[in-house]
Amino acid sequence: MEQKTKKSFGQIVSNFSMPILLGLLVLIFSILSDKFFTPLNLTNILVQNVHIAICATGVFMIMVSGGCDLSIGYQMSVAAVLVAKLLSNGVMGVVPAILLGILICVALGCFNGVMSIALNSQPMIVTLGTMAIFQGISFLISGSKTYHNLPRSFMFLGQGKVFGVIPLNALIALIIIVIVGIILSRTHIGRKIYAVGDNPEAAKLAGLNVAKIKILVFTCAGILVGISAILLAARSGSADSNTGTGIEFTGIIACVLSGVALKGGEGTLWKAIVAVFILGVLSNGMQLINLGTYPQYIAKGIIMLASLYLSNKTAKAA
Amino acid sequence: MELLELHNITKRYPGVTALDNVSISFREGEVHALVGENGAGKSTFIKTISGAVQPNEGEIVFDGVTYDHLTPQKSLELGISVVYQEMIQFEAMSVADNLFMSDGSDGGLFVNDGERNKKAAELLEKFQCHISPKTWIRELSMANRQIVEICKAILRKARVLILDEPTASITVEEQRRLFDVIKDLKKQGVTIIYISHRLDELFEICDRVSILRDGQYIKTIDIQDTDKQGLIKLMVGRELSENYPVKDNLPEEEVVLKIENLCGNGVKNISFELHKGEILGFAGLVGAGRTETMMLLYGAAPIESGIVSMNGETLSIRRPADAMKAGIGLIPEDRKWQGCFLDKPIYWNISISNIKTLCDGPFINSKKEAAQADLYGERMRIKAPDFRVNAGALSGGNQQKVVIAKSMASLPDILIFDEPTRGIDIGARYEIYQLMIDLTKEGKSILMVSSDMEELLGMSERIVVLHEGEQTGTIEKPDFSQERVLELASGIA
Repeated sequence: MEQKTKKSFGQIVSNFSMPILLGLLVLIFSILSDKFFTPLNLTNILVQNVHIAICATGVFMIMVSGGCDLSIGYQMSVAAVLVAKLLSNGVMGVVPAILLGILICVALGCFNGVMSIALNSQPMIVTLGTMAIFQGISFLISGSKTYHNLPRSFMFLGQGKVFGVIPLNALIALIIIVIVGIILSRTHIGRKIYAVGDNPEAAKLAGLNVAKIKILVFTCAGILVGISAILLAARSGSADSNTGTGIEFTGIIACVLSGVALKGGEGTLWKAIVAVFILGVLSNGMQLINLGTYPQYIAKGIIMLASLYLSNKTAKAA
Repeated sequence: MELLELHNITKRYPGVTALDNVSISFREGEVHALVGENGAGKSTFIKTISGAVQPNEGEIVFDGVTYDHLTPQKSLELGISVVYQEMIQFEAMSVADNLFMSDGSDGGLFVNDGERNKKAAELLEKFQCHISPKTWIRELSMANRQIVEICKAILRKARVLILDEPTASITVEEQRRLFDVIKDLKKQGVTIIYISHRLDELFEICDRVSILRDGQYIKTIDIQDTDKQGLIKLMVGRELSENYPVKDNLPEEEVVLKIENLCGNGVKNISFELHKGEILGFAGLVGAGRTETMMLLYGAAPIESGIVSMNGETLSIRRPADAMKAGIGLIPEDRKWQGCFLDKPIYWNISISNIKTLCDGPFINSKKEAAQADLYGERMRIKAPDFRVNAGALSGGNQQKVVIAKSMASLPDILIFDEPTRGIDIGARYEIYQLMIDLTKEGKSILMVSSDMEELLGMSERIVVLHEGEQTGTIEKPDFSQERVLELASGIA
């Protein structure tokens, strides 16, 4: 009996390890810097990370289905420069431009999915290739220029507040994450995504169309990436071909940190989102205590390696 | 003179005794065949010699020195080499590189390619193998890859060479050349342990033959003193025990499934009919194409030609979903990798194939899902504290029941059981058999692939026998005998 309560306590700790870690970091940085725990800084952390959270949601879906996408950063880049160029040249209205931006990411995501199925290759390698293609497309669109003077109504998406307090982009992110969370945990489509990642061979023999599901996941992730690109461009008020690049690594680190199995089939979305904010708090806090950008890279890398070690350990224990 | 002797070797795995007090001796310079049915213990025996397996009891005497076990390294040092059926080679390296990879002949830092290639060419020439030593391994035929492996063994100055199913994937001419090589080695005093399912060729190349059956040593005889029939008798030996539940319902006249000239996935011209309520067995040696045939039927491999019809209606099966829709269910061969989602709960496993029918709109109705798990879980008598437990935590028999439950949830009329009781203990086996019979009473029909001879003869009502991708015969119940099955399976009848 006593053992049982102990065990369940351990389970609670491991189940809530992400929020606990986040709480600890907040506590530590609050002690180290008096500028950390202020409404202004906390809001900053929130709005600076919402586009990453949306991206990480896409990364999460792909990883749960047993895939991997390294091209997400440049998908974002393509969408951001396209939309910014159209808007700053006044060629298109805000709404059609946004829709076009999302649509282009859907197409790119679908392309990734189709390619990894058609080439019957590791998605990581396939998307390494498509990443280069997308990078080229982005620079062709931008011509290495940065686009400013975006319309006010567009920027409102990234900077506006609902009722004067709630950041609009955070609200959008919350809605998206909740919807994806419900799809993954409560619908038959979500169930199939986990099945395909967990054991593709058994999924195939259970009658699931593995290729279709994988392509669907890449395509849906494209929607999220497109939205994320638009929110980022709207918040910073400008876009160039480096907008969003490298974001896939933050997403992958957050997913792995939260316990998403690298082989697929396992993971909990809300934990991955908390993990995004752990990384966000970490970089914000380190900045406030004047640690600089480069040590931050090192810290991120160490966290990634440490989480791999931990996930290996739990995998062996189970 | 005896070069290698194994005394009283016993190897136990959890739940099975793979080798039970086996003693065999090998003379210097003889070709000694090792035969037995699937699962007789041949591969465990070879692994004991190669050091890959350490026996629980017994000793190994090599050249007068006694060892209680060998390690892979020790075995190589002694001059024991194995050429496995699945050769492990450096595919993207040259023949010469493969030959000299681990012989340590290069004194300096740099590889002397010229010297290597010259030595390799000389060696290959000896075996009438006219390939350039610079060729990449993966460009070679199976037969030539085998020769390279044998050359490697000779470079290591092998005194015992074990050939595991060497003729399984080579042509007749290549076989000729292989036999010349074997004869040549024999002249040089190398002891050859030869494992093959093809009994014919043993008479051509071997001096003596040892028979294993169910992990036990039967006897060693001179090959001249026997013939194929005699060997088969020795391999089969035992009488059938009556350990099978009685199936008192006879199959009906009605033909539910008709297969005509099915080709693809490595099998040719398979034709059979399945009657309602029947258990139709599929026999054959490893690689005969039984599972391959089932995968075709189930849509998991592309059909090249042939007709599959169910209740008189021709089916077009392109993927498993098509087969399932038509009413065909599969309990796959490899439970852990093809059947179960081990780190997912039991209810999750049961509902994965028909999850859409348990939904309200897009949302899974967890009550319906739990009810379905209860229904099939209880019907299949899955023993688990709770159906929320992960499938991986169950015993083999209960995992198999989960896979059957999953299949049943899609309401099939025909069930394919591929190795229904592999790795399952005796008690649970009986339950699975009883389940199968109960299913036929409900009007389901069963195709059963099995490598277990007793199970085949005990459960089937007719047996289709395959040999190297082709159908060699169908045996009716009155003609059931182990000898008959083995004859057809070996392609000698």
